[in-house]
Amino acid sequence: MRNAERLCLAHFWVAFAAFAGAAVLGVWQMWVRSPLGAQVGSPGHYFMSVTAHGVAMAYVLTTFFIMGFGYFVAVTALDRPLPGKVWAWAGFWLGVIGVVLAVLAIGRGEATVLFTFYPPLTASVWFYLGLVLVVAASWIWCVLMIVAMADWKRENPGQPAPLAMFATVANAVMWLWTTVGVAAELVFQVIPASLGLVQTIDVGLSRTLFSWTLHAIVYFWLLPAYTAFYTLAPRAAGGRLYSDTMGRLTFILFLVYSLPVGMHHLMMDPEHGNGLKFLQTLLTVFVTVPTLLTIFTITASFEIAGRLRGGRGAFGWIRTLPWHRPMVLATGLAFVMLGFGGFGGIVNNGYGMNAMVHNTSWVTAHFHLIFGGSVVIMYFAIAYEIWPRLTGREHLSPAPLRLQLWLWFIGMMVMTVPWHWLGLQGQWRRVANFNYADPIIAGWGPWVIVSLAGGVILLISAMLFVRNLAVLHRSPAPAVARPLYALAVHPPQRVPAALNGFGLWNILVLVLMVAAYGWPILQFVIDPSPGAIVHRTQWP
Amino acid sequence: MTEHRQQPISEPHVLDQPWRLWSSIAIGGILLLGILLGVVIIPVVQGRGAGLDAYTAICRALGILPGSPAQPQPSTQFPATPVSQVVWTADVLQILSNADPRRGYEKVQEVCVSCHGEKGDSVGPDFPHLAGQSGAAIYKQLYDYRTGSRTNPMMTDVAKALDEKAIADVAAYYAAQPKRNLNPRSLGESPPNIVQLVELGDPNRNIPPCAACHRAGAAGPIETPILSEQRTEYLVAQLKAYASGERRNDVYGRMRTIASQLTDAEINGLAAYYRAGFK
Amino acid sequence: MSDAHPEIHERRILGTELLWSFGVGVLVAAILGMILFTALTMGVNPPSNVERIDPKTLHLAGEFSEENLGTTVGPDGRVTARVIATQFMFVPRCIAVPQRRLVTLRLSSPDVIHGILVTGTNVNTMVVPGYVAQVHTEFTRSADLLMPCHEYCGLGHSEMWATVQVLPNDQFKPGPDGRVSCAQR
Repeated sequence: MRNAERLCLAHFWVAFAAFAGAAVLGVWQMWVRSPLGAQVGSPGHYFMSVTAHGVAMAYVLTTFFIMGFGYFVAVTALDRPLPGKVWAWAGFWLGVIGVVLAVLAIGRGEATVLFTFYPPLTASVWFYLGLVLVVAASWIWCVLMIVAMADWKRENPGQPAPLAMFATVANAVMWLWTTVGVAAELVFQVIPASLGLVQTIDVGLSRTLFSWTLHAIVYFWLLPAYTAFYTLAPRAAGGRLYSDTMGRLTFILFLVYSLPVGMHHLMMDPEHGNGLKFLQTLLTVFVTVPTLLTIFTITASFEIAGRLRGGRGAFGWIRTLPWHRPMVLATGLAFVMLGFGGFGGIVNNGYGMNAMVHNTSWVTAHFHLIFGGSVVIMYFAIAYEIWPRLTGREHLSPAPLRLQLWLWFIGMMVMTVPWHWLGLQGQWRRVANFNYADPIIAGWGPWVIVSLAGGVILLISAMLFVRNLAVLHRSPAPAVARPLYALAVHPPQRVPAALNGFGLWNILVLVLMVAAYGWPILQFVIDPSPGAIVHRTQWP
Repeated sequence: MTEHRQQPISEPHVLDQPWRLWSSIAIGGILLLGILLGVVIIPVVQGRGAGLDAYTAICRALGILPGSPAQPQPSTQFPATPVSQVVWTADVLQILSNADPRRGYEKVQEVCVSCHGEKGDSVGPDFPHLAGQSGAAIYKQLYDYRTGSRTNPMMTDVAKALDEKAIADVAAYYAAQPKRNLNPRSLGESPPNIVQLVELGDPNRNIPPCAACHRAGAAGPIETPILSEQRTEYLVAQLKAYASGERRNDVYGRMRTIASQLTDAEINGLAAYYRAGFK
Repeated sequence: MSDAHPEIHERRILGTELLWSFGVGVLVAAILGMILFTALTMGVNPPSNVERIDPKTLHLAGEFSEENLGTTVGPDGRVTARVIATQFMFVPRCIAVPQRRLVTLRLSSPDVIHGILVTGTNVNTMVVPGYVAQVHTEFTRSADLLMPCHEYCGLGHSEMWATVQVLPNDQFKPGPDGRVSCAQR
């Protein structure tokens, strides 16, 4: 692997260490807010935990995993050494320093502003600087991904870039576009407020800038899972990718339609009118298209695999698929969760329905299911698949891997299904202690306990995951050489530049962002909102 | 049998033209459709139902004018005697951060020391300790005494004799005085129901935890006073004054609403808890 | 793992993908159509009221001063409820509204971001300092409804809630100044 193993492993272990810690916090939080923990957990500790859990799961696990996987793809799919490895390591350490700064600030109780930061609530500047460093590290990664693909294309003129790398670079480009929002919010508004340079903050503008990042960031997390769907799962199933073109189109559609839609996170906000809210709702409906296309293409790819193994009839191919392989099992489980989670997403987008579920447990359930469920289960499967290549050792048995995946699926369904239901009942978010004496709230209690049970199962699964990877480092079995990436049924010979690069798409993204966010941001320049006084989590 | 049609493989830039054309048309078309529907058609149609002309409806949809494109705006009525004249603007916060504790010390010697002590340790149970109190809290109370939002036979005249800068200087001086840092466990009890009220509040009665505002770093209202080490009698008197409505300078009745729901035992318990130095 | 080659013509693959894409297009059109239909015929909108107001002077004078809060029936018969969301309570804590009449809720915050929903209704909005949040609705059932703060606003967020008392018309009686208070129960 041309000596990039340590680089990848370093990123992955940081990601999974954060994941394991955050999983423990998550269960503690669920216990505290349930009837079983009703007298425990001061709000100070609870919301500190919520902040830590959110930062670890949403910023550390994701960013470091995606960087590690990206380096892996750049080396293996392009079959060449990683350019700028010194920069890659510099980025890694920058990110680690950032994580340490942020975690220390949270632990000191000076950053209890949740991972979505709620200005004018303002944390210690070390918290924000820590996160800025993590983002800066990821930008280094983005540049390296783009450079790696550009170098490969120069050496292979006219050839279609391998789909796995195309997807990874699409993700990097999307990340560069989307981080502009949160970077602007932090650099121009929140950090100056935190330093005491300004005493008020324009909250409408900060929410709008943050929303710019808010949707594409979840697709940043999602795209590696889809990369696995298209390039790893068909091979693991023993088949071929149904259509390489559809794969490319999917990643392009994500790049184009996940960016100009952030306002659906501000659907209930007063700082925008329904004109632009409708436009971004319309654009959001289009971001369902790549997922729906993927469901077809991957199912068709699996059908090929099943029929090659002797499956007959309309559905007989399902039975013959090699479900004993972790990547195949994870894909199947991910699709089930994607079905539920995707449906929830469509509900959230319709603003009439959004009014019923905004800021209720439905939202919490939705993103735990779709991100914690479909996406993270694929992170597990990817790790299991590539760890032998990184360590040179083989899993002794796939049984603990399968068990871990099943526990994750079961735990996620048991945790999130009651949560969806409670959200529809009106249970609201971010509560340290519910008043279980109130008759309405008392009725919710049993379901909260069921969710807690799901969370405990998830914690067991999380620990098992870490164990499965850790033991692999000392496994006596050497890694078995086998091909990793799927071939398409009809491998592309030539593709248009539009399907091999992002020049055209960047221009279209620019047009979309100007149309979708131009006026919403311009209105704050023309007529700023009256500033709200900064509330600092450090006593002056 | 596999059949591959034999056809010449086109160069990428030739393959590209239809992509550039059709993707631009598709995305441009979707954008135009979205803008037309969201900014023009929906507001205008909704506006008709609300008796609004097209221009007003579109401006409302864009947020240029207030109001919904689907409903007429309610008319607003205003009376008002505000409960506090203090406005935490950037200017006021600047005045506070630029205040001079040494000038404050001179004023304190003249005016405050006979009741509140030189170091902020007051001379009697009716006078609150001010040592290490939040500067913003002292500022607000003095300002409210000046404007009459809060009344006290002695403090009203004292405050009226001070100008805004002097108030800030005095506040800064006392804020800089060290607290005694008592050892709470040896001085006071922490009965479970009081600790619960301080740490968890009472959701049944809408009472947030005292610590949610009154603990350092809680990020609550700017003018929140520090309660730790305060005189028991003073705390009891203030809570009772809030409960009866006699003291009304808490913005939006935050303390009046809370205090009116506390029992006498809770008021006494909380006062003893904070007196002992618990934070 | 086998690398067997399935025998499917490229055109067939494209054909099936296009057929599926057509189905996806129908679904997209259906979703958008429903949203458009409800917008045009029923006035279903996300909250749409961009009205700026200074959070720092809300309490001094004007619409959101303490004495002006609560439900009032205007001279034109319109019912407007004005509520302040602050750390950590709503003012007033009980809001009386009539059953089956159009009600306009107007909220603002002098400090940080809050949010409200009213259980069992379509009332849901963020309350952002610097803005007046406004929603229009009709309460169909007469009941005491829970209105919690649903956005993190600080350490006291969990205890922040109000009651919305939906009164049948014979109990919804404005005083001479047009104000309606909650019935004491």
